Amino acid sequence: MRFLDYKIFRIYYDPYLFFSIFFLSTLGLFFLYSASQGDLSIFLKQSAFVVIGLGLMMLISQPDPQVYFSYANGAFFVTIALIIIAIFFGPTINGANRWIDLGVTTIQPSEFCKIFLPVFLSAYLVQRSLPINFKSTLIPVLIIFACFMLVSLQPDLGTATLILLSGLFILFLAGLNWRFIGISFGVFILSLPFLWNNFLAPFQKQRIATLLNPESDPFGSGWNIAQSKIAIGSGGFFGKGFGEGTQANLYFLPESETDFIFAVIGEEFGLFGISILMLTYFFIFFRCIYLAITARDRFCRLVIGSLSLVFISTFVINVGMVIGILPVVGMPLPFISQGGSSIISFYIAFGIIVSMASHKKLIPR
Amino acid sequence: MSKINQTYVEVRSFTERIILASIIFFVLGIVIFAQVFSLQVLNFDNYESAALNNKTETLAIQPLRGIIYDRNNNILVNNIPSFDLIIVPSRIKNLDELLEHISSFINLEDLKIEDFRLQFSEAKKFNRELTLKRNITEEEKIKFAVRGHLFEAVFVEQRYLRNSLYPELFSHALGYVGNPSEEKLTSLRTQLSSLNNIEQTYTSGLIEGKIGAENIYDTFLSGEFGTKQREVDARGRTLSEEIVSSPKMGSDLYTSLDLASHQAAFSAMQGRRGAIVAVDIQTGSIVTLFSSPTFSSNKLSNGISQDEFKTLIESPDKPFFDRAMRGRYPPASAIKPAIAIYGLDNRLIDWKFSIEDPGFFVLPEDGRIYRDWKEGGHGKTNLFKAITQSSNTYFFELAYRSDIKSLKNYFKDFGLGKKACLDCFNEDSVFVPEPEWKIKEHNFGWFKGDTVNLGVGQGYLIATPVQLAKYAYILANKGAHKDLSLTFDSTKDLKELELRNLSQDDWSKIHESMVNVIEGNTGTARRLKNLKTFTVAAKTGTAELVSLESKEDYEETRLDSNLRDHAVIIAFGPMPNPRYAVSVVVENGESGGSVAGPIAIDVLEALIK
Repeated sequence: MRFLDYKIFRIYYDPYLFFSIFFLSTLGLFFLYSASQGDLSIFLKQSAFVVIGLGLMMLISQPDPQVYFSYANGAFFVTIALIIIAIFFGPTINGANRWIDLGVTTIQPSEFCKIFLPVFLSAYLVQRSLPINFKSTLIPVLIIFACFMLVSLQPDLGTATLILLSGLFILFLAGLNWRFIGISFGVFILSLPFLWNNFLAPFQKQRIATLLNPESDPFGSGWNIAQSKIAIGSGGFFGKGFGEGTQANLYFLPESETDFIFAVIGEEFGLFGISILMLTYFFIFFRCIYLAITARDRFCRLVIGSLSLVFISTFVINVGMVIGILPVVGMPLPFISQGGSSIISFYIAFGIIVSMASHKKLIPR
Repeated sequence: MSKINQTYVEVRSFTERIILASIIFFVLGIVIFAQVFSLQVLNFDNYESAALNNKTETLAIQPLRGIIYDRNNNILVNNIPSFDLIIVPSRIKNLDELLEHISSFINLEDLKIEDFRLQFSEAKKFNRELTLKRNITEEEKIKFAVRGHLFEAVFVEQRYLRNSLYPELFSHALGYVGNPSEEKLTSLRTQLSSLNNIEQTYTSGLIEGKIGAENIYDTFLSGEFGTKQREVDARGRTLSEEIVSSPKMGSDLYTSLDLASHQAAFSAMQGRRGAIVAVDIQTGSIVTLFSSPTFSSNKLSNGISQDEFKTLIESPDKPFFDRAMRGRYPPASAIKPAIAIYGLDNRLIDWKFSIEDPGFFVLPEDGRIYRDWKEGGHGKTNLFKAITQSSNTYFFELAYRSDIKSLKNYFKDFGLGKKACLDCFNEDSVFVPEPEWKIKEHNFGWFKGDTVNLGVGQGYLIATPVQLAKYAYILANKGAHKDLSLTFDSTKDLKELELRNLSQDDWSKIHESMVNVIEGNTGTARRLKNLKTFTVAAKTGTAELVSLESKEDYEETRLDSNLRDHAVIIAFGPMPNPRYAVSVVVENGESGGSVAGPIAIDVLEALIK
């Protein structure tokens, strides 16, 4: 971990995370090349993001966590400001205002909210004494809900859900008492009909209905799910081989480069490929859990814990959707799906995790 | 101390909770793996065949459309092979880029880009193919062949163009073809539900008869689809193609139409507005069916530019209007033989009965005057003379004595107010005027004067040229007739008019009087006498478009060509055993005898020859 100790400077990094993320990113490029039917421009652009992302991750790992503690508020509020700018001034693509056009590329600030919201909340909560009291619970809850609403307005239910989860993870890990969790969960269940009637757009209701009965509308909203199940199922043990997936290449599989790339992997590399992929994801996840438990102080614990939960829940929601056990929401597969903001945000997250895990302090805070 | 204690509690709580969360996500991971395992291992066979099914395209093979012949087995409409450049819009991301690329080696100058863009988005929406260029040259074909691999969504395929050998002569009668309508596609969807790539399949060169016999006999002409299976690899390249079932070629249609008579009709009409219909008396089949002016059915079938189409649509002569089937014209004096038969059959008159014709008829009820076309009248006039010289006064008098309730049935018997033809496209049945009709349509009671007007085929009486031809045919064949048709249909029933008192002698005299219309020195069509080589019976008509009180008014309206009278004639020959009956209408032609007459003679001449 510290093989450069004798030098005048140290490079902070975690070899397990670095190599597993590097492996995942490389695998991702490989899959993306196939999923985009060998479209070099997509491949090269994504490669650039991977290289920049890995560099960024290393860079972000270097400062002491104290730096992130100090800049937690700033980063969060800048992100919120960017989301608002995107809503009002950003380009409208497919009816959504999620992006800010930077000329060379567009960025999606909401992707960063799922990183900076937990950091911000951790910094807020560690300054409050334990057990966290009602006021210290209410303020984060309101902030989380505000972020969720803001991103829902874009509209982007997938990212909004993830932001909501990232906030809730923090509250849970910070020691929110069980009674409160129980009551909130009960209220949520009871308010489901209300949310269904007043909050969900018709197409979102349709997606949920489709999940429950995909065969009801095989050429409509059930099409995506039906085709992605065919893709995965037809992969078998070892898959059809690189570039041989007929489902993606013959345009049966929708969004094969982005949200549905898992289906391409399933089709071309089979259960074997998926097993390797899942093992890698869970290896990274459990490594992070270990780092969280052994982190030097409460701030670091909370940040590492919540970011790793955000990471694994993104994976679970994406794959759950692709294999037809969760409703279709826009959710990328971390480090693999095409899309700059998504991949960069995870590099940043892991940069922060590594920084917090590798800067040890002897005296506990 | 308490801080350390608090930290200890906090670390323990955090550790417990993060481990709990990890366990939950680990379990979710197992659920995911179980589902993937179920898809890829337990249900592999199902999904493998589903994926195989996806990449196997079942396509329809278009049967070749039947050929249309005339009655002498001359080909009227056939198919000519054409190599078409076809694109699949749903697989094309950038149309402009594609067109630019293709136009570098294939001439696309004729492409109307605005129209094409519309068609493109439409075809893209429904996943249909779209023809970029028809009938590419051999050179273009080769140029595309060497570059074809660059274009995933573009291909060249042999298709057939529907080709009329006489595109102007039969455009209304036989019609033209075009892309299938939504209804057609819906019915095919049910018929061919086993095909998966449905929309694209249907439009693979599929054409449908839009109007005329092409439409009426569409099913007969189009045959049945065959199917072929095409297996494609992951890059959409065809691996194998196998014919599952061969198409059943469309049947050839042998019509009763006569080519020579259409040529005669076309040149005689000289593009004037009107229609000609001729019937073969032996079979009741239509031999000439021509509406003028006309248009090129080939252009309509195989692509016409928007400008050209607009010119046709906006032309005041309305070339698309099928005057033979839908033109509504007063039969005018041509109706007089029917009135005469009514009078004879009901014993209102006989051949000896005569009136003194002063040149007008005065309606006793209100003193209203009905004028004859000839000032001063025809003098002492019997039925024979009344037909030959077309005395209006005589027929006003006869109509005055008629009962409209009975008269209207005779009109119907002679084919008015109902469809004349069994297999004609979009025929207008029009109506026969009667008191109930007038109340309903005009909210006005029936006057005796209305009946008087019917006596000379004016007023509310209207008929289409095809109805007039049927009427001429019934007259010619002395009441025995069949429904008209475009083919020699031997299953048609022979019908007789139900007449009470009319004798064969009466029929012969009607024929004689109609022969005298041409042959007699006072006949209204005596100018036709020397135009022909056989004897023809005829009755002319000049349909007034505006009712006028004086000759001066009349001269004034002549100046406006659109208010001039329609020229009408019905004729049959050769006498005494007629083989063909014909009706001719020339809009604003003014004189039945001198304008419509020569056209009828030309057509009869062509038919009899």
